Amino acid sequence: MDETQRRLDEVRRERSELENHLIDEYIGGKITRRELVRRGTVVGMSLPLLSFVAAACGGGDDGGEATPTGGTETAAGNVQPGGTIRVALIQPTTEPNPLLVQDEGGAGMLGSTGEYLSFSDENLELQPRIAESWEPNEDGSVWTFAIRQGITFHNGATLTANDVVQTFEKLINPDGGSANAQSALGGVLSPGNTEAPDDATVVFNLDAPNGNFPTLVSSANYNAIIIPADLDPAEWGQTFEGTGPFKLESFTPQQGATFVRNDAYWGEKANADGVEVKFYAEEAPMVLALQGDEVDFVEHFSVSGGRALLDDPNVQVIAISTATHRQLHMRTDMEPFTDARVRQAIALSIDRNALVDGLWEGRAEIGNDSPFAPLYPSTDPDVPQREQDLEQARQLLADAGQENFTVQLDTWDGFEIPDLAQLVKNYAAEIGVTINLKITDAATYYGDGVFGSSTWLDSVMGITDYGHRPVPNVYLASGLVGDPKIGVWNAAHFRNDEYDELVRQYVAALDVDSQRSVASQIQQLLLDETPVVFPYFYNFLSAAKPNLQGAVSAATGQFDLSKAGFTA
Amino acid sequence: MARFLLKRLGLAAITLWLLTLIVFFGTQVLPGNVGRRILGAFADEAAVDALNERLGTDRPVLTQYWDWVTSLLQGDMGTSLAQNVPVSELLGNALVNSLKLAAFAFVLVVPLAIFGGVVAALRRDTLSDRTITIGGLSLSVVPEFVSGIILILVFALWLDVLPVTARAPEGSSVLTQLEYLLLPALTLVILLFGYIARITRSGTIEALDADYTRTAVLKGLPRRTVVKRHVLRNSLLPTIAVVATQTGYLIGGLVVVETLFAYPGVGRLIVTAAGQKDMPVLEAAVIVVGVIFLIAMLVADLLYSLLNPRIRYASAE
Repeated sequence: MDETQRRLDEVRRERSELENHLIDEYIGGKITRRELVRRGTVVGMSLPLLSFVAAACGGGDDGGEATPTGGTETAAGNVQPGGTIRVALIQPTTEPNPLLVQDEGGAGMLGSTGEYLSFSDENLELQPRIAESWEPNEDGSVWTFAIRQGITFHNGATLTANDVVQTFEKLINPDGGSANAQSALGGVLSPGNTEAPDDATVVFNLDAPNGNFPTLVSSANYNAIIIPADLDPAEWGQTFEGTGPFKLESFTPQQGATFVRNDAYWGEKANADGVEVKFYAEEAPMVLALQGDEVDFVEHFSVSGGRALLDDPNVQVIAISTATHRQLHMRTDMEPFTDARVRQAIALSIDRNALVDGLWEGRAEIGNDSPFAPLYPSTDPDVPQREQDLEQARQLLADAGQENFTVQLDTWDGFEIPDLAQLVKNYAAEIGVTINLKITDAATYYGDGVFGSSTWLDSVMGITDYGHRPVPNVYLASGLVGDPKIGVWNAAHFRNDEYDELVRQYVAALDVDSQRSVASQIQQLLLDETPVVFPYFYNFLSAAKPNLQGAVSAATGQFDLSKAGFTA
Repeated sequence: MARFLLKRLGLAAITLWLLTLIVFFGTQVLPGNVGRRILGAFADEAAVDALNERLGTDRPVLTQYWDWVTSLLQGDMGTSLAQNVPVSELLGNALVNSLKLAAFAFVLVVPLAIFGGVVAALRRDTLSDRTITIGGLSLSVVPEFVSGIILILVFALWLDVLPVTARAPEGSSVLTQLEYLLLPALTLVILLFGYIARITRSGTIEALDADYTRTAVLKGLPRRTVVKRHVLRNSLLPTIAVVATQTGYLIGGLVVVETLFAYPGVGRLIVTAAGQKDMPVLEAAVIVVGVIFLIAMLVADLLYSLLNPRIRYASAE
């Protein structure tokens, strides 16, 4: 028997069922090498192992994927040590408390000194950080993480598995944890089920098998920085206690913060001497600051606010493909949208490519009316893409006996949303539907965020903005499931038992193949029912000065400057 | 004089108290509660309730107001609900920043505008007058974000002689700080010049046309002396009133300029606090701006009586 084959068999014998599934799929050509690596790292396989498996199995092709223009991190060049990197960040709305942070500015602050079990990069691959490796049990209901030894916090205390356990207990504490973390881990991990059998191991006993669990405790869950077990999160803002390559020098609320290199860092020391973060309340001054040489790196800018940067040859634009999107919901339980044909008609009236070009200068991917963004590995790319078809739209309206009706669309005035609303109105006019726009502000639109006292959840038609998630679980469940205790964001009041069952199956599915086959059914069902139109998923854009190399952004607002520095 | 001051102080106190009431109960009308504002639309209802309890914002409104008033009277401005730092810290920083910018803008615009207004009045209906009046008016209707951006584009980006933001690095010299503040100050000059100049101009014209001026001229006094000794002090009266009313705006109302130039002043602080229903910060800031405003009015009245003896004697009676 071939030596490679023998070694492969040996390796496979030691792998879990989940990992073997993955290898089987690769051999069978159902996933590309790139996806093998991506899924493999999520599940806990190391890169050398994956390279060996890929080489040994030989099957599957490299599957080139179109990367968004602009690259995903600044090009590596001759980086000089030293210097202070100045970063422009949107002003955080809350105090820097890991439990309360729920916006980009806050996430940026947490990630500046804190570290996660793993870092979710732009390819949705997980790079080990505080956790060295992780493994599921047979069915994916128990995950064991090996904690790196020799890590110290900035105050000198050694990090142990107990710190990890306590961090998560605080996050999911029903009596005052992190709302954000709970939206990701609710129904997945319950309090008291995380343990540290020794200083170097953490075991998570999940409520149910979950193939995507490692992503849910990575940097994608941006509140989950590992903090000392005895630190009260409300006091985190005084020291920014963490284990990262930079530590806090000073923090001024609503103005900014400065950080210095942590020379006791467990990994490769940072190049730069320090980082200076300045807060900006709006985008325009951030863009001007980059152009005027007052900052070196803008964490996030939008196409509409930063057109000057897109065209400027002296600016490096970094683009990340994300699942950030807008949802145009239609109340399935209210006239005129009780008939699915009417909802489909609205969806068919929209020219998605025009929206992407007009609103995002091409820096977005069109959506197909489901939360399955193109960048997710579990998305079935073979589901037919809905295109604009005014003829069919008018026909559907006629069939449903709902021609020329008038309806109100509620939304708020942030980002490109007013422009999107106007365009939706224009498209609807072409099929004889009159939409009256009622655009207010975020506070009025979201109200109390619960059914009965929120325009968002009560309106007949509305547009809502959704931030990036590395897996679609939350969008599927909270966004569209019928049970109001689960579907807390179900603005369309969508009630469909078949859908609910499919979502249950999707969450429990552990390997890409079964996830994708369920996803395919969900995608098809949502195209038929169309409770919500998902017009696009847009890119996350950052900008840097040409002499700054190695700066990495994450779609959640964190920036990683550990490898960044200035070229001569 | 003392009675005059006491009466004014009494009125000021009542005004301030009414101000706090209006602000407090006015923001209660806005939708949403503090916990929801801080945690965002997607947060779990239980989490919002827990936060509200921790912050004490689930108590009856009157209780919250009473607690806040009693603390304030003891000198404690409380803690920011959103930022969890003492209000005095946030407000102190913001106030110092705003005062610097306001003072600089003041020093630039007031002499310039008074000079412009007087010249325009003395050369009534000539080209100079038209230029100053119409020019000033045109400039003042340009929104601050337009004039601000144009200034930034021209001086900071194209010519590269001034910085883009208004915030100088920590520990800069006074001269450096002024360099950083120059563009926002100029934005304010553009905004306010026209208004103050016109008021001065009409006040000067009124004084020039008055009987006492004619008498002074007929007495044989040189034009310059007439203007300096008789016209100016009367023409400046309306100007003083106008400038005093602008003080409140210069301290607490510069939201657009502060945002554009990334300058952490009181205007931005108030807007952020209002949006988050961060009551302690909002109330304290509004009161401080109110106090400054009332002081400015008081100073204006005192200047008035200095310049115009008739008022002095009238209040003495």
